[in-house]
Parts: sequence; C-alpha cells; structure tokens
Amino acid sequence: MLSKITVSPAPHISQPLSTQRVMLDVLIGLAFPMAASIWFFRQYAVLLLVCSVGSCLVSEWLVNVLRKKPNSLIDLSAVVTGVILAFSLPPAAPWWVAVIGGSFAILIVKMLYGGLGYNVFNPAMAARVFLAISFGTLMTSWTVPATAKDEALKKMTAANTHATTQATAMAWSKASLKGQENAVEVSKFYRDSFFGIEGGCLGETSALAILLGGIYMLFRKTITWRIPAAVLIAAVVVASIGWLIKPAAYVNPMYHLVGGGMMLCAFFIATDPVTSPLTVKGELIFGAGVGVLIMLIRILGEYPEGVMYAVLIMNALTPLIDRATRLIPAGGKPHVQ
Amino acid sequence: METRGKFSFPGGVHPPEGKQYSQGRPIEVIPNPKQVVVLLSQHLGAPCKPVVNKKDTVKAGQVIGSSDAFVSAAIHSPVNGTVKDITLAPHPVLGRTMAVVIDVDSSQNEPKLPVAGRFDAKFDVSKWTSEQICRAIKDAGIVGMGGAGFPARVKIEPNPAMPKTILIVNGCECEPFLTCDYRVMLEWTWQVLAGIRLTAKAAGVEKIRIGIEDNKPEAITIFNNAIETLGNEEDIQVVPVKTKYPQGGERQLIRAVWNKIVPTNSIPPVIGACVVNVATAAAIAEAVVFGNPLTHRVVSVTGRAICKPGNYYCPLGISVQELIDYCGGLTETAAKVVMGGPMMGFAIADFSTPLTKTNGGLTFLTRKEVTESKFNQTQTACIRCGRCLAACPEKLNPTKIAHAVKANKLDVAQEQYFMSACIECGCCSYVCPANIELTGYIKTGKLLVARARKKA
Repeated sequence: MLSKITVSPAPHISQPLSTQRVMLDVLIGLAFPMAASIWFFRQYAVLLLVCSVGSCLVSEWLVNVLRKKPNSLIDLSAVVTGVILAFSLPPAAPWWVAVIGGSFAILIVKMLYGGLGYNVFNPAMAARVFLAISFGTLMTSWTVPATAKDEALKKMTAANTHATTQATAMAWSKASLKGQENAVEVSKFYRDSFFGIEGGCLGETSALAILLGGIYMLFRKTITWRIPAAVLIAAVVVASIGWLIKPAAYVNPMYHLVGGGMMLCAFFIATDPVTSPLTVKGELIFGAGVGVLIMLIRILGEYPEGVMYAVLIMNALTPLIDRATRLIPAGGKPHVQ
Repeated sequence: METRGKFSFPGGVHPPEGKQYSQGRPIEVIPNPKQVVVLLSQHLGAPCKPVVNKKDTVKAGQVIGSSDAFVSAAIHSPVNGTVKDITLAPHPVLGRTMAVVIDVDSSQNEPKLPVAGRFDAKFDVSKWTSEQICRAIKDAGIVGMGGAGFPARVKIEPNPAMPKTILIVNGCECEPFLTCDYRVMLEWTWQVLAGIRLTAKAAGVEKIRIGIEDNKPEAITIFNNAIETLGNEEDIQVVPVKTKYPQGGERQLIRAVWNKIVPTNSIPPVIGACVVNVATAAAIAEAVVFGNPLTHRVVSVTGRAICKPGNYYCPLGISVQELIDYCGGLTETAAKVVMGGPMMGFAIADFSTPLTKTNGGLTFLTRKEVTESKFNQTQTACIRCGRCLAACPEKLNPTKIAHAVKANKLDVAQEQYFMSACIECGCCSYVCPANIELTGYIKTGKLLVARARKKA
C-alpha cells in the first residue's frame, strides 16, 4: 500500500492545462486563416503549409536525436512555427523556399538557443527575414487569389498600373506615398482586404478569418487582449496622423489595419509568449512598439511591409522591457532587512 | 438576504471546490484511540519542552509541554493515560520532532461533542475582562487553527504600539475539499459567535467583520440570523466574499473585507487588524468559559479515495492511520495522502504522523486525480506565458523567482523579485502549463535564504 503513495510539494491539484494544449489552441485559432488561405490559393497553400510544417517537424526531431533529448514534437510548437511561416510566404513561392525557411526557423532560431521557451526571436519571423534577404525576387511575387471575382480584378487593374508586380495592399499603399497612386482610391479596397480578396502573403489576406481565430484564442484565454489591442491601437494612431494631414498620399488607417500582415501579427505573431514580455505593462509597451514600428516602416521605410522587422526589433527589447517593468508586490517593496 | 460575494482581491484561482464529499456530514466524535502522539511543535514559534516524564500519569487537559518564549503555545494532553515515551515522531511539515507518546487509559469515558445549547444569544461577554480572556487563551494553548498556527494570544493581546480597530473573522475556507470550518459554523454557531465577541473584547476592537465565501450561503444566512437575534450592541457584520482561492489568506481577506493592504513582510496588527479563524474562535469560547484547553479539533477527512468521508471531532495526537481505519480505510485508487487541503497541504507517506492543532483536514486523492495533476507529468521549459503573474495574489513574478532560485541566484530572487513577499499559496504552480513547481522552488529559495542568514 505504502509504495503506491506519492509525495510531492503542494499544491496537489492543478489546472488541466499543458503547453501542448496552449499550442493546440493556437493551432485551432490558426485553422480559420488556414481555411481562408486554402480557399483563396488552393494547391499553393496546401503545398507551402505541408513543406513548411514538415520541415519544422523534421528539423526539431533531428536536433532532439542529435542532442539525445526527449521528443519535443508533441508540444506542437514546431507546428505553430511552420504554419505561421507558411502564412507569411507569397503563395507562389516554390516549395523549397518553405523547406529552407522552416529548417532555418527551427534549427537556427529555436533549437540553437535551447528550444521552446529559450529562443529570443520569433522563429517564423526570423526565418521570413532570412528568406527575404536570400531570395528577394521570389519573396515579392504575388498571385491574385483564385477566387477573386472578375469585377474585383478589373478594379484592381484599373486602379493600379503595376498590378502584375505589385498587387498587394501594402504595395498600393507604398505607391500612393510615392505619388503613383491616389490613396483615396486605394483606400476604397479595404473591404476586399478585410475578406481577403487581394494579393498578399498566404495567410495574411483575410483579416476576417484572422479575427475569428483571434477571438477564439481570446475566448480560450490562450492570449490576452493586451498585445493585440496595443498593436492595433498604436498602428491606427500613427496611420491616422498621415491620413488626416494628406489623405491623397496616406491611405485610410482602416486599410492599414486589414492590409498586409497587421492582423496576423497582432493576434498570432506578437502574442508569441516566449518572445514577448511577462508583465502587463510590458505587454502593452511591447504591443505599442510593434504597432508603431510597423507603421514607421510602412510609411517611412523602403519596404512596403514591416511586420517581421518590427516584431524582431521588439523581441530583442523584450528582456529590457521586462526589467524596466518589474513588478512591485501588492504590499509594496519590503523594507531593507 | 444577499449572499453573493462582491468583495474580493486581485489574482487568485478557482480550483474545483470538491466540498461535496464531506460538506453534508455532521460533525462526529471519534472514540479514543489506544495511543496518542502529541507533538511538541504544533505552532509557529518556539517548540515546547516536555514537562512530564516517562511513566507519569497524565489527566486530560494537563499541560505536558510548555515554553518560556513569547511566541509559543502550551501543549496539553487530550486524554487520561500514562506517558509511554518522549521521543521523536513524524511531523507533517518538519520531518521528525519531539513528541509525548501517551498510552490511553481505556477506563475513561469516551469523549463527547461539545454540547450544542451551551451558548446562545444571551451570552454575556461583560463577565470577563480583556486580561482574563487573554490569560485563558494563553493557558489553553490556542493557536491559529486555519493553518499557520500563530499563537492566538500574541495575535489578540492589545499592544499599545499597534492599537487594533477591526476583528476580521475568517470563515472563508477557501481551500478546496475541506469542510471543517463550514460544519463548525453551521453546528456551533453560537459558540463561534461567543468566541468572536470574547476575542473582540480582548483585542479592544471597534468592529467585527465575518468573511464567508459565497459558496456557503447556509453559513452566511445562519450567521446573519444569529447576529440579528443578538441585537445591535456590537458593530458586527457578515461580509459575503467571492469564492476564490486564497480568499482565506489573511492578507487577501483583509483586502477583500476592509480594502486595506498589509505591507509586505509585515503583519496585520501594523494596520490595526486582527484576523482569527472560526475554529479558533470556537476554541477561545471553550477555553474562556469552561477553561478547556485546545486538545481536540474538527478535521475533515475527505476526498474520493477514502471510504467514509466526514467531519470528525478528534483528539490532537491521533495518527492518520487511526483516522483512516475509522473512516473505513482507503479505496483501491488511493494515491496521495495530504495533511490539509490540496492547495497548501503536505503530502505524507508515513501514516503514523499525528494530527496537530493547525490541521483542518486529511485529503485523500486518487490515482486519477494525481495523474491528472501536473506533478506526475514531465516539467517542461517555461514558455513565459505569464499565467503565474496573473494568478499571484501578491503581485509577484513567480517564474522569475523560481528560475533565479534554480540558478542559485538568491539575491536576484529577493532583491529584484521580492521572494520574501510570497505567501506560498500555490496559485502559480496550479496554473502553470509547463508543470513547473514554482511554489516548490520559491519555498526552497526561502529556506536557503533563512539557512544562509543563520550561518552569517
């Protein structure tokens, strides 16, 4: 009888919640934009998702085997990285780009730092930067969604003379800034961006699907409202400044919200717990920083989109933010003993 | 009548309440065991020294251990019998400590429940002075029976440097599974109320607030009715508080009921509060009115893994094994025996461990409950999700403290993350998805700091 009795420190009961369950909830949230991406981009989406997730899983398994560590694939974090990486690729990217990206994300950015919980940078975003630097042209060729109605396509072509090479919402916004487009005309397409009928990265096009996934995660308490709200509010504030001053050059803030990677970033990328701060104040600072940086890059930078750089810069600042926002106990700082 | 708890504190968790096993069982008296092992360390503060010798005959209520230290409480024999030995015995928390082993005289009368009806609305506290009450509390060796075991006299006695303005009575019983305080509130209402009024008189407070969690509406109602019968002589009120763990932690309860914060590393009297548990109040009434020392208490024997759960009036010193036998034994699936409740109790393997004054329950968890609990699973890396920060009722950063302790950086844990402010409630471990025993690490860190300080 005695041998069957266990002894351990208190507490002896626990919430039925594991890292695996947290990651599974993120994946369920990601299922909404995933469905949208498969609907819009069909075989391209499936191929990239399979290659990206597959290479992430194989890479993590390989590191586990080489380092003689227990199998960490079941925590599902590699799947999350794979899906987010695939979502940030152009739909027409070749399959091997996804494989290289997935391997880089897991081998270099995650496992070299010690695996889940120890990585400093968001693996998917770091890999995305790596790919953008290595394969510049491949990473900026965009496909019009398979479901785009002829009507919408006509509008796109009518409004944009560079449609074949610059079909993304953010490219249009950039063109407006350069005076090649009229921002007022471009802004009219924010509805298409919201539903996802536009060119853009695989999983970023449909703001609606991402929002649904985000709401699911908020409901499950997988994420808190703090980082998404801070990202979006900060972005709207910065976008509004330009828009109010010169609406012909600066697109509507709504257009910035639903276009590009903003939504995916706010709900799925910036909310990565490992690479974002721990404290409430820290989360707000981090989110606001990401939102402001995205908008600065979009408006002042040379790139049309800034999510990946914004996230990586704030990732690097996370330890500092954590330190700057250290908590004071409820009862105040203890007196010096 | 309003029984919904509007008052609370920030943070905390809400584990499954698990009160269904024993909350419907009236308090039942346990027959005297053949032997009791009375530990000489049943409170916070200096342990007692034995004042009896081997082979001495002792009477029920006789002092068998005492100490000259200010923060200490005398220990009494719960039975008539002969001292068999004075030796080391298993202690639920401290490993092995000194204890008086008494062979129980089988010819004595079986213990009886304190009869209901001894106290009523006509109970008059003016018969005793503050000094008399304090003396009676001291002589009876009463300690805080909610868990910490702080000697009650030290808590209650008026201190001119820190005048007390409020008496907060803890009827929360926020610990899952345990129902001993609940039964005491229902069945010994008038005795508890008498104890509360005596305590208030002794401490010299102006007002009395009784905090009861809103998952015990019957207790709230019964106390409200009793106070109504009492009339308006004293400023005494029931405050229904939200059902949330650790609502019954004294710092949390003061915040919920009085909206004041006890400074870190400080004690309630600093802000003029005195907190006593309902069971302690009952013991105080017993001691002041009848001169009976604290030798028995109500214990919830509960959980899915015990055949006959219930609330039992037991002599302090009865062993866990005897309680198990009396309650029909363990079920097949028993996997963990916890002295106390599942959030803050201590898991034991040695069933000869005796019951102490601070022990309100014995929780028997099944294999399934233990496996489902994270501590049977692998601990993985912290994913920095921040759930422990949100759950911490003291607004600490448990993961940072735990990792600093793990890296043996005790100065970081203390100076940057204020480890000493931790109340060890276990909320952080409860919510952690990575199965990290955060509370365990923090407790270890505090022990290491204490040890280093002793050496220095």
